[in-house]
Amino acid sequence: MVNATKKWVFLKISSVILIPLMLWFIINFVSIYDKNFDEVLVFLTKESSKFLLSILMIVAFFFSALSISEIFEDYVHDEKIKNISIKLLYSSAIIIPFLTIIVIFNLDI
Amino acid sequence: MDNKNPLSPHIQIYSWNISSLISISHRIIGVINIILLTIVCFWIASMLLGSTSYEFIYSILNSFFGKFLVIGITWSFSFQILSEIRHLFWDLGYGFEITTSKISGLIVIFGSFIITILIYILGRQLI
Repeated sequence: MVNATKKWVFLKISSVILIPLMLWFIINFVSIYDKNFDEVLVFLTKESSKFLLSILMIVAFFFSALSISEIFEDYVHDEKIKNISIKLLYSSAIIIPFLTIIVIFNLDI
Repeated sequence: MDNKNPLSPHIQIYSWNISSLISISHRIIGVINIILLTIVCFWIASMLLGSTSYEFIYSILNSFFGKFLVIGITWSFSFQILSEIRHLFWDLGYGFEITTSKISGLIVIFGSFIITILIYILGRQLI
């Protein structure tokens, strides 16, 4: 399979996973955003929340890295800037969810 | 190996229609959503600082700006979900006809507002 096809397949698989996760997150976020510290903590420390939030972070950043790199490839003409941008994008798509998951699993009531 | 793929022409050379509007909006909102999700990551990380430090975030989220931000996130997520579903139908080979494409584009635009209201009602348990 050529790289572009692999990228397309990964994009499609991740978007199918992402749709229900985004719905789950946004409904829960709307219900807790104005709650106090303890109530938010209760939500974030539930086993189901920890699991689903972790999957959401991994898949969302993976999907975004792949799709935003397409935007760079389409619109950034300078090869050097394009390559650096894509590398920065991929690095942040690994570091941000990784650190967030560490935080999620270190939260305690 | 050098990338020999042609570059896309810049968007200003196209005349606007629903398909192009949704296409560029899908890309812009995709970028906005990952920025918003990064802010969510900071919000989660802020919980490590304890309840006293959370007071500041609590006051922002309970202000008019906070509600505007949350409704904005809900709308941009709703838009991307619907637009992504439209893309998945295209990938399965449906919806390429011009009329169908225009209708599905309108569904994405108006549906995103309807879904935002539904999610808000569901999240706040207003019914």
